[in-house]
Amino acid sequence: MKKYLFIIVLGATLSSCNKFLEQEPDARTKIDSPVKIKELVASAYPKSTYIAFAESMSDNAGDKGVSSRSEQNSFPWEFKDQVKSLYDMPARYWQECYKAIAAANQGLESIAELGNDPTLNASKGEALVARAYNHFMLVNFFARPYDESSSSTDPGIPYVEKPEVTALGKYSRGTVAAVYDNIERDLLAGIPLIDNSTYKSPAYHFTKNAAYAFATRFYLFKKDYANVVKYANLVASTGTIATSLRNWNGKYKDLAYYDLQAIYTKSTESANLLLCEANSIWGRSFAGYNYGLNSALLAEIFSAANNPVKIQLTYRSKIFGGTETVFNIPKFSENFIKETISANFGEPYNVIPLLTMEEVLFNRAEANANLGNNQAVIDDLNAFLSKRITGYNESNPNHKLTLAKVTSFYPNLSIKDALVESILNFKRQEYIFEGMRWFDIIRLKRTVNHRSVKGDINLTIGPEDNRRVLQLPTEVIASGLDKNPR
Amino acid sequence: MNNLPFGKTWRLIPHDPRFSKPLRIMKISTCLLFAFVTGVQANGIAQKVTLKMKNARIEEALNAISKQSNLQLFYGENIDSKARINVNLKDASVADALNAVLKSNNIEYKIIANTISVNGKTEGSRSSNIVQQGVSGTVKDKDGNALAGATVTVKGTAITTQTDESGHFKINANSNATLTIRFIGYAVREVAVSDRNNLNIVLTSDENKLEEVVISTGFQNLNPKLFTGAAVSLKGKDVIQEGTTDVSRALEGRVAGVSVQNVSGTFGAAPKMRIRGATSITGENKPLWVIDGVILEDVVNISNEQLSSGDASTLIGSSVAGLNMDDIEDINILKDASATAQYGARAMNGVVVVRTKRGRVGKLQVNYTGNFSVNLKPNYSNYNIMNSVDQMSVYAELERKGWFNYSPTSRAENGGVYTKLASLIDYDESLGDYGVKNTDEAKGAFLKRYALANTNWFDLLFKNSLQQEHSVSFNGGSEQSQLYFSTSYLKDNGWAMGNNVERFTSNLNANFKLSDKLSLNFITTGAIRNQQAPGTLGRVSNPVEGRYSRDFDINPFSYAINSSRTLTAYNEDGSLEYFRRNYAPFNIINELRNNTMDLNMLDLKFQGGLTYKILDGLSFSSLGAMRYVKTGQEHKIRENSNMAMAYRAGTSFDPLGVDSEVRKNNRFLYRDPENTAAEPETVLPYGGFYNTTDDFLKSYTFRNSLEYNKNFNEVHDLNLFVAQEIRSANRQNKSNIGYGYQFDKGGVPFVDPKAIEQAVANNLPYYSMGPTYDRQTYFLFRGAYAYDGRYAINGTFRYDGSNRMGSSATARWLPTWNISGAWNIDREKFYDNSSVKEVMNRFTIRGTYGLTASIGSATNSSLVVKSSSSLRPFPTEQENVINIINLANNDLTWEKQYEANLGFDFGFLKDKLNLTVDLYDRKGFDLIYNARTPAIGGEYKKNFNYADMRSKGLEITLGANIKPSTDFSWNSNLNFAFNKNEVTKLEGTPIIFELVGTDGGPLQGHPYRGLYSIPFGGLNPKTGVPMFHNGSGETVTYIDPQGDDISFLKYEGPTDPTFMGGFSNTFNYKGFSLFALFTFAKGNKVRLNPVFNSSYSDLDATPLEFRNRWVVPGDELDTNIPAIPDRGTFNGLNGEFPYNSYNYSDQRIAKGDLLKLKTIRLTYNISNKLMEKIKLRNASLSLVANNFWLIYADKKLNGQDPEFFGTGGVALPVSRMYTLSLKVGF
Repeated sequence: MKKYLFIIVLGATLSSCNKFLEQEPDARTKIDSPVKIKELVASAYPKSTYIAFAESMSDNAGDKGVSSRSEQNSFPWEFKDQVKSLYDMPARYWQECYKAIAAANQGLESIAELGNDPTLNASKGEALVARAYNHFMLVNFFARPYDESSSSTDPGIPYVEKPEVTALGKYSRGTVAAVYDNIERDLLAGIPLIDNSTYKSPAYHFTKNAAYAFATRFYLFKKDYANVVKYANLVASTGTIATSLRNWNGKYKDLAYYDLQAIYTKSTESANLLLCEANSIWGRSFAGYNYGLNSALLAEIFSAANNPVKIQLTYRSKIFGGTETVFNIPKFSENFIKETISANFGEPYNVIPLLTMEEVLFNRAEANANLGNNQAVIDDLNAFLSKRITGYNESNPNHKLTLAKVTSFYPNLSIKDALVESILNFKRQEYIFEGMRWFDIIRLKRTVNHRSVKGDINLTIGPEDNRRVLQLPTEVIASGLDKNPR
Repeated sequence: MNNLPFGKTWRLIPHDPRFSKPLRIMKISTCLLFAFVTGVQANGIAQKVTLKMKNARIEEALNAISKQSNLQLFYGENIDSKARINVNLKDASVADALNAVLKSNNIEYKIIANTISVNGKTEGSRSSNIVQQGVSGTVKDKDGNALAGATVTVKGTAITTQTDESGHFKINANSNATLTIRFIGYAVREVAVSDRNNLNIVLTSDENKLEEVVISTGFQNLNPKLFTGAAVSLKGKDVIQEGTTDVSRALEGRVAGVSVQNVSGTFGAAPKMRIRGATSITGENKPLWVIDGVILEDVVNISNEQLSSGDASTLIGSSVAGLNMDDIEDINILKDASATAQYGARAMNGVVVVRTKRGRVGKLQVNYTGNFSVNLKPNYSNYNIMNSVDQMSVYAELERKGWFNYSPTSRAENGGVYTKLASLIDYDESLGDYGVKNTDEAKGAFLKRYALANTNWFDLLFKNSLQQEHSVSFNGGSEQSQLYFSTSYLKDNGWAMGNNVERFTSNLNANFKLSDKLSLNFITTGAIRNQQAPGTLGRVSNPVEGRYSRDFDINPFSYAINSSRTLTAYNEDGSLEYFRRNYAPFNIINELRNNTMDLNMLDLKFQGGLTYKILDGLSFSSLGAMRYVKTGQEHKIRENSNMAMAYRAGTSFDPLGVDSEVRKNNRFLYRDPENTAAEPETVLPYGGFYNTTDDFLKSYTFRNSLEYNKNFNEVHDLNLFVAQEIRSANRQNKSNIGYGYQFDKGGVPFVDPKAIEQAVANNLPYYSMGPTYDRQTYFLFRGAYAYDGRYAINGTFRYDGSNRMGSSATARWLPTWNISGAWNIDREKFYDNSSVKEVMNRFTIRGTYGLTASIGSATNSSLVVKSSSSLRPFPTEQENVINIINLANNDLTWEKQYEANLGFDFGFLKDKLNLTVDLYDRKGFDLIYNARTPAIGGEYKKNFNYADMRSKGLEITLGANIKPSTDFSWNSNLNFAFNKNEVTKLEGTPIIFELVGTDGGPLQGHPYRGLYSIPFGGLNPKTGVPMFHNGSGETVTYIDPQGDDISFLKYEGPTDPTFMGGFSNTFNYKGFSLFALFTFAKGNKVRLNPVFNSSYSDLDATPLEFRNRWVVPGDELDTNIPAIPDRGTFNGLNGEFPYNSYNYSDQRIAKGDLLKLKTIRLTYNISNKLMEKIKLRNASLSLVANNFWLIYADKKLNGQDPEFFGTGGVALPVSRMYTLSLKVGF
């Protein structure tokens, strides 16, 4: 009898053991409620920025002839591969984008676990669009730009749709076309689900407007101009674009250095459609980088003579720093997160405007130029100039851009090309120090020339140059994915 | 008192015919014994003996009789083990059986108090001498415990008696006779009566003789015959080092393969302890402590790196700090897979099994121990620090180089003499004069006082303090109940200013025997600790600059070795003199009084167990234990401390007044992000801080086991053991920053809302709470079989379950197993007869192979997500965000290790010399490493079971027990071990900063913690700034500490010694005993203190090397000590950190080799005669010196202990200590 009792007791303990061991080892949370899913998806944005390498690779960066070098700045300018993964380096950006994707994927998985409850639609929409955005950024840096003729064979980047649950996941690059298809699928599935009212701090989330803005960028890269206009107009439908642009010739004009720096990336600035805080030293460093806005480029980009409207835009008056070694516009204030409350070191964060109202305007204008809607282009650019010309007067014909001015400024180009060039000209000024120029260079197959003052570096990076595509991080190559050709 | 309980039977001459036969056979001439034999036979009707043996040894036969009759067996002395007998008895009486076994060998025996006492060969029958007189006496052991049942024989006769329960005897002997006293486990002693009629005889134990050695695994107390692993058993009384309060420290140098490094000597801080080196790359590598069968859970888990950090949590890091050393009965250190098998998946790092004392049958004994210790002050001769004159000349160079320009210096954040001078040069309106006139004479006179000050900080901050410890224990009981109770009090007045500790312990251990089948055991232990330490904040690593830093560090030791001797603690009028730190006045003595850490700890354990004998050989045991530990740290920062003042320096709340320059630069002030134009403000206008941290542990253990232990046919020993256990431990850590506590205004907090705003903006909450839950269960089966004492085989299987890795049904369970065997060659017939046996009397070979494991540091078998605030600059934009901390890893598993062990035990010259040799080879696999991944899954540095490690080692213990005369004996023990470990597989590489620091880092092909250096490339001939060789073969001034090209780093060696050991000697002469313990270690490298900087302040104490620094071009040919850069050079460094790189270069490395005379002790045992007079059972007085002499260490360390390099926080070096110890028993 005793023996049986013992066996029963033993059996009972065995089965209860699993229950006993169910206890989580610490106070970690479980993603099991709509609120938690929402908070998880809030981390589906990259906590790193591409600006440093994108800006340095572009034609916005020239040699200032200073002796000190910083890898974040000099390697991309010289089109050398960066193997480290420190602040502002491509590998770090890769890691952070995939980290954001993991949060989106986990959010989507948890939503599925909760039975795709319709109350979770807003989070699902945000997760899908964020996932699309992160992959889109990665594919444009680490693979060749979209081209209908070659993208179906160009290697892409792994499109991750499931949370990784093994020690080391198995991934393949797929093709650029496949990545684009996935992005489009996620984007289109996500947009209708987004609900602005669920966000506490909407500027840091994919609102409807931000998602539309991303769609205009996506379709512009895909050269699907009708869709660019369609989504741009959806943005417009929630408030005209023109009234939401940064007020450079108004409020911005009179701001002191730090005040301008503070407002530029503030969520209350209506032009900021999507902001994200990124672990970066860009804000504190870019002015002093050797490869950046030097005097020659300052003249090239900002002189009155060098744009179709032939008037110097307000930006020029907000370029601080008396010498070329430190020319800068205060766009990024640093939020220094200290290690401990009294420490004097910690992690620097910059808020990065990922999508802005200006881009929607530029994207729509470029699409319209390609579609032949020339007047729409001129109208958009005039709306833009109304906020960029100091002392702007609507009735002053000098302040107005016309098709004639465009064609006379670009006499050798077709009207369409002249319009596109005009757009790029203004866009380059608008996004100086923000890295956006690089996207236009790869998208429109522009050649970049980097020449050092001493003459020892003389790079001509044409549209087919392999170095335009960033090399995959070393660990990725080591895991067996094909490296980009060099 | 009647000392003669046998008096009555004494005169019974056994002519009863019933006894004639035994009398004849046994050739024993005293009758007394037969009376007892009768008694036994009368009582033990059921004691029938069946024996069937061929060519057996006598001991085996006796053992069999003992077992069957339930009579205990005592050997008076060695019996002839060569003799072989044949018996064949069925249901014989005990006496018949004994006769059959012993008669042919002329061996005497007696049965007394349920004990068969067997003496050696008689020298033939002799007639009794004529009784001349009665001699009486007492037989006791060294500790004064009465020895009941000892045999006293008049030498050369057959007159024999035995001692009674209190050790008394009375025997008829001539006044010139010699008595021979024998007792099991003790050396035979001969005492001349020499006209005395009362003898006090003390027997010394002889552990190499037949004393029953029991190996305790914490679960079972095993017959050594069945034990086949590598383990070392130490007696509590041998381990005690008077004055040392932590048992883990006392193990240093005692056991081959056990290394103990005292990285901090502060009470409560655990030493770095390793059994056979490290097994894990990321784990804690600490051995498992088991006290009275229950795993001792740590209140907080302190990692390798934290141990040397000096963080306040290290003070509660040693879970054995609450254990009174006097309570320890024995310590078993289990080393190989077979020994630790029963701990399966927790056993990878070895196990330390501690048994506390239990009550004994017998009269109540009271023992008192008093230890009175003095810690000696440290001395400048042991440290490498400039005196104030040399220091002032360094400052003069700094001044020449533009570092002390008056205007910036007068507003420097930190400053000493020059800062003071600069601020006094200003016109002081209140005085109507200049503090110091701006003339060379006036300035020279001002500086002269400090140049000649030569302040002895050790004198000011340390004292030769007294530590006292009192412990009293009571021990006694009957057959049915036994009790051990002890209580102790420890008070350390504190060696370093701001440190003191008080500890109370109590221990109650009760055994109750309810019936022959059922017995119960209860243990209740409690400890309370109150400790004070200097206020400290956690150390933070700054990989950006490549250094560690700690704000407001006021550790007296690090202050003394890092502070300039030009500073003075007192003004000329005797008041405290303040210099500047963090823009606020600072004086170390004031700070130590006003910035304190109070730590209190309550540790309670209740334990109960029962054993039920179900059948013969089969017993069931059950054990339950509950432990409850509450610790609290109160960091009190009073309003007039530097730390509180720093929070308001420069603002209108600063008693020194508003200073806009200070206000702009003071990093403790708060800048409102919404208001870019506003001045920084204080968050602490009034009061100080009252910061608390609490750690809480509640753990339960419940275990059931079934044991079957049987001997078959005298040659087969079988032991089967099944157990099942569940264990849970809940821990909680909480902390709170109490802003604005007004200590001198009745304890009312004044909380400024900005304090909370600042905390929120920095994403550093002002309070926190985090629980952890540990759940473990296992099933265990163990079988052991021994054949004829010659061969033993042992196997264990254990199935573990744990929740530590997170909720995943697959990662949760792990089976471990082990198989081992032993061959006692000396028991073989062929060996028995060989002549080798004369020299080598004992020879055993042991072998083990098995799998052990431990839970790694990773907890992500399921997804780990945590909530935090977003990192946005404006409070209005903040929202709660959940971040993925670790992705789920379904492949996560335990860290595991296959271990093979080959052991040899030798005994030479009748065990006068003992030698144990163990060789092991461990293959660690599935070790957790934080490796870099492609990050496509979303986690760049991921914990997974990737790394492999292999370690090999050799352990040798040599013991000698030499006893040329009865008055003199010499015991010697030499143990040493080699351990070599190598990481055989490791994905990814760490960054430079992770490899060059004091703790080193792992790299494939090197030890698990290797120390690496940046290769020094000479001094720049123009500036004297250090240069280095980088990966591209260039010589540069800048090495990025975060760089991941590590190919050019120089491998220096491991951070753990590869060879270490101890050498102890005990000399006994009459009542005196001298003990000396040497410890040694070799093979590791130590990183010297980072003393070089690109700029220095007038607070810094510079080491003597600075005398040889680079001064003018050309010096680089003769010296490698870099220059003090002038301002121009400094600015040219462009924020690069060559001086930090120099601190981590191959110039700043020393060997960790050391030879130490760790302990020396002289003991006097008060003579028996005197004790009889003062009615004491025993008494002894010892003088002990601990950490007595560092005989050898690398010269580069200038006399500093290589074990102690992590200064700061609460860490203090182990000091030299003299202890007077008094032990009294009555």
